[in-house]
Amino acid sequence: MQSNAALEYDYSVAKLFTYTTILFGFLGMLIGTLIAAQMAFPELNYMLGEYGTFSRLRPVHTNTVVFGFTLSGVFATFYYVGQRVLKVSMAESKFLMFMGKFHFWLYFVGALLATVSLLLGYSQSKEYAQYEWPIDIVIVLIWVSWGVSLFGLIGIRREKTLYISMWYYIATFLGIAMLYLFNNMSVPTYFATEGLGNIMHSVSMYSGTNDALVQWWYGHNAVAFGFTVPIVAMVYYFLPKESGQAIYSYKLSLLSFWGLMFVYLWAGSHHLLYSTVPDWMQTMGSVFSIVLILPSWGSAINMLLTMKGEWNQLTENPLIKFMVLASTFYMLSTLEGPIQAIKSVNAIAHFTDWIPGHVHDGVLGWVVFMIMAALFHMAPRMFKREIYSKSLIEKQFWLQTTAVVLYFTSMWIAGITQGMMWRAVDEYGNLMYSFIDTVAVLQPYYAIRALSGVLYLTGFLMFAYNMIKTMTASRELTQEPQFRSPMA
Amino acid sequence: MFHWLEKNPFFFSVGVFVVIAFAGLVEILPNFAEASRPVVGLKPYTVLELAGKEVYKKDACIACHSQLIRPFKSETDRYGQVSLSGEYAYDRPFLWGSKRTGPDLHRVGNYRTTDWHENHMWDPKSVVPQSIMPAYKHMFTNIADIETAYAEAVTVKNVFATPYGDEFKGTRAAWEAHKPKVLADAKLITADMKNKDVKDAVEAGNIPEIVALIAYMNRLK
Amino acid sequence: MNALMIKGLIFAAVLIGATVAVVSSMNIDLSDPINMITMIGAVAIAGLSVGVSIKYINQMKTDTATGELVDHNWDGIGEYKNELPSGWAFSFLGTLIWAIWYMLAGYPVNAFSQIGQYNEEVLAHQEKFEAKHKNADAATLQQMGESIFLVQCAPCHGETGDGLSGKAQDFATRESKEQILDVIANGSNQLKYPMGAMPGGMASGADAEAIADYIVGGMKGEAPASYGVCAGCHGADGAGNGGTAPNIADYDDVLVHNVLENGKKGVIGIMPSFKGRFTPVQEKALTTYLHSLEN
Ligand code: HEC
Ligand code: HEC
Ligand code: HEC
Ligand code: HEM
Ligand code: HEM
Ligand SMILES: [Ca+2]
Ligand SMILES: [Ca+2]
Ligand SMILES: [Cu+2]
Repeated sequence: MQSNAALEYDYSVAKLFTYTTILFGFLGMLIGTLIAAQMAFPELNYMLGEYGTFSRLRPVHTNTVVFGFTLSGVFATFYYVGQRVLKVSMAESKFLMFMGKFHFWLYFVGALLATVSLLLGYSQSKEYAQYEWPIDIVIVLIWVSWGVSLFGLIGIRREKTLYISMWYYIATFLGIAMLYLFNNMSVPTYFATEGLGNIMHSVSMYSGTNDALVQWWYGHNAVAFGFTVPIVAMVYYFLPKESGQAIYSYKLSLLSFWGLMFVYLWAGSHHLLYSTVPDWMQTMGSVFSIVLILPSWGSAINMLLTMKGEWNQLTENPLIKFMVLASTFYMLSTLEGPIQAIKSVNAIAHFTDWIPGHVHDGVLGWVVFMIMAALFHMAPRMFKREIYSKSLIEKQFWLQTTAVVLYFTSMWIAGITQGMMWRAVDEYGNLMYSFIDTVAVLQPYYAIRALSGVLYLTGFLMFAYNMIKTMTASRELTQEPQFRSPMA
Repeated sequence: MFHWLEKNPFFFSVGVFVVIAFAGLVEILPNFAEASRPVVGLKPYTVLELAGKEVYKKDACIACHSQLIRPFKSETDRYGQVSLSGEYAYDRPFLWGSKRTGPDLHRVGNYRTTDWHENHMWDPKSVVPQSIMPAYKHMFTNIADIETAYAEAVTVKNVFATPYGDEFKGTRAAWEAHKPKVLADAKLITADMKNKDVKDAVEAGNIPEIVALIAYMNRLK
Repeated sequence: MNALMIKGLIFAAVLIGATVAVVSSMNIDLSDPINMITMIGAVAIAGLSVGVSIKYINQMKTDTATGELVDHNWDGIGEYKNELPSGWAFSFLGTLIWAIWYMLAGYPVNAFSQIGQYNEEVLAHQEKFEAKHKNADAATLQQMGESIFLVQCAPCHGETGDGLSGKAQDFATRESKEQILDVIANGSNQLKYPMGAMPGGMASGADAEAIADYIVGGMKGEAPASYGVCAGCHGADGAGNGGTAPNIADYDDVLVHNVLENGKKGVIGIMPSFKGRFTPVQEKALTTYLHSLEN
């Protein structure tokens, strides 16, 4: 079966998004490492005046890694994978070429403005939706441009049947569009009065418990459609492509996809357990979280089974290693999350470091690993050079794996300890620990986490260096590799 | 059927959309009208308190602090009465938070006072030696944006029928007329504060962020 | 079991072991139902994630890929027509059935009330502790008081009760000279004693100084003549005439109760009211503890 005999795919937009993936990945994780260090060593709060405190930087970290790094990675891989599985080149349509580039530049400028606005303190204080309304509008425009590219490319496709990855990209588009719009609804105060006050300011359309419901319907599913669905799109393309193995079971992909789509949206209220949200909604959130294990594991199992009998590839090809480990971290976080969603467990876990622990075994072990493997796979095809250094990838792999393990184990212990200390009573029935006692015991774990940040960031720098060298200085290829990526 | 969908992107997308939109309708809408009803006696935030809430948002205190006391004895012993839905009716946005690096603040107005906050925000370690909370000295010099807070009050009054008095109008004249009231509220706070520069600033008609923030903290009861 | 599986499970066991060890070193009661369920959850996460993923990874070593390919490929990627892995399929079906059962029959969604659960928790707690400590002895009260103090009062008064260099009351002495002079000059009306308000300006200048020195000195020896005006309300010994005015010589139950009930604003700063947050036993415990801080 020849794959791309006649077609010359155009990767100019995919390349641009590759650059921003690296840039925002570095910035986001640098800030992540800094805020991790601030929790262990609070003196580090005072390096940048009012802009450098933990609280100003934390939303900058989350938004840079979510909307900067991860989204860039999603777009980069989409502009690569989309053409190939639909069998059309962007070069075939001037309009699509223009939309792709427009999409990128709007995105890039928007991302810079957004970051500055957060540093200046413009924030709606809703997690992962902090940006104020003018930035929200830019984000909507960015999304619409991606939609035009996505459906435009589908519109002119030669391959009539949508490949599994495309299902997931489409779902990403629709899911985020719906969620983002509803959660960010707000009324700008400047226009509701005779131009009084700051033009950036707005008030949420919803109040109190309602606002919480909408926020976590969004927040939980922003995780779904930002950290899960498009990453699954990647693994369904890059793992079989890099390994040359066929997907283990079409049926399993089908059931996992529709199962995930249906179940995910019900689980949002597991962020609101024991809050003032009605009991029945909380119960539903818990129950559906447990059900969610299976459609999540379905994709991971499909990937692991795709590699059946290919142990030698796992040992010889570091990209396969990244993707297989990513799939197992995906299994870990999609089991850990549901168990944290059990009400009795959440009574301990909620509000503690166990949650950031859960978050980062997902994002560091699954999202970042998968995106890096994808970009490594794309690089020889896009830049027509072999990957600069295999041994560097091997080192990076072990360094970052160690870092993830340190991160989630330290936060696991810290979170469980803190959660139980908050509840502990002494022999007289009075609270055993003052709040600050429960902070002070965490210092060593915060220090370990900061160390893990340094290790992970170092690994990411090795990735960035390897990529840049691949783009510029590596041996040129005369022919596009069919499956396994060539590396020196 | 699925093979058919996979060849028809339009219907595929419609299918996905229906499947994902469904849960929101069932889980969010039924409660919507009821949950935003205020508890008896709940007053909307004053303009100074709103300005303080804005400082709380600007410096993202929500990164470390929750405002939700869960129904466990350990929490009500530590923070006071369980939080009720109606208490949040005027919170736009809600500020429950999702991480307690620091303690809950939903009723902090009950057990901390103006002078304590003054010490604490200037240098948390001076009152809690092992604290990891950053000092917020810049709040003692940055001036709070009370005009925007006023605009917010008028907006929620007009758009969401929040019960502010008739004098809350969206005109500049109405704002100028209301401003002295905000300054008077600020002076009630600075009366219990020690920082000379802050007191002087308020005398001169500028309200530093810390004053607004403390007004907001004291309101959380 | 092969080596990889053993290594993986050892990792999971070490993680759980470390968690239990750290938690136990903080004197956590793991037999508490919530704590126990959480630990079981943690074991499930670590054990199942490691066990299941390594099971599949092992198949990469031992098994081979087979099956019928669909007659189609995308950019060179094929798909097998393999059936669903049965473990997965049955688990999915099982959780779905369980979910429907749970919400409709097992624990119907409308039958649970978290506030009801909370009330039960409070009740059970009271049964366990209130009765037991109703007639606690002094040593118990002091320990109990200390533990309450460290949680509720230390953020202002400091862990040792020293008032954090003048930010709140220093419990080493009853009142400082500065505080007494302030009350003499300005009076006080906030603690709700039967005697009501204390008027300001009953003494001044050297007289006031002498009174203040006398009280700060622990009211030992000859009282200055000017103290007479105070004795009318506070008693010659300063003990407050049986609780009708504050005891100014020493902390006592009434004073601590009144301060906790009403809060107190003075020259040092503002103390919030703790009205309704302590039981009588707890208040007594606090008083006992404050006593122990005096020198
Ligand atoms: C890095 C985390 C962090 C940030 C950011 C932070 N705090 Fe804190 N906060 C803490 C910790 C830890 C404590 C407990 C120790 C102490 O009292 O300092 C605390 C305590 C407090 C308390 C005392 C509550 C009590 O019950 O004792 C108040 C009030 C408070 N913070 C307000 C704020 C405000 C307002 C902001 C934002 C401007 C803020 N905090 C930002 C960590 C933080
Ligand atoms: C008319 C009765 C009366 C007289 C006379 C009087 N006091 Fe008092 N004193 C009170 C009452 C009542 C209070 C409690 C006030 C309150 O509720 O805040 C009080 C409070 C105090 C306190 C504060 C105690 C605390 O812990 O807050 C001090 C100190 C004090 N008196 C000292 C004096 C001295 C010194 C004099 C003499 C110059 C004096 N009092 C004369 C009735 C009196
Ligand atoms: C938010 C700060 C704060 C907290 C919390 C606090 N206090 Fe105080 N307390 C003060 C300040 C400030 C004063 C001094 C008031 C003055 O006389 O100027 C004070 C004074 C006192 C006094 C002396 C009153 C007198 O008349 O001499 C007692 C007794 C006292 N506190 C007990 C407690 C106990 C017991 C707790 C805990 C249950 C507690 N306080 C918690 C701030 C606090
Ligand atoms: C070098 C690597 C990283 C380090 C050291 C790091 C560190 C941190 C720290 C310290 C926090 C705050 C936790 C708290 O408040 O207790 C945090 C939050 C968060 N980070 Fe990271 N981070 C890293 C990489 C990433 C990446 C790559 C992503 C996403 C792709 C990410 C996503 C998040 C999210 C979503 C949160 C919010 C979690 C929550 O609110 O519960 N992080 N991170
Ligand atoms: C079956 C799938 C999952 C379920 C049921 C689930 C469940 C949960 C639960 C219960 C919480 C804690 C809420 C709280 O108490 O505060 C949480 C938080 C979080 N999870 Fe998951 N999780 C899942 C998968 C994932 C994955 C794969 C990722 C990322 C790759 C992820 C990222 C996050 C993030 C970012 C948060 C923090 C939200 C916040 O800011 O509070 N989750 N999840
Ligand atoms: Ca927004
Ligand atoms: Ca969070
Ligand atoms: Cu969630």
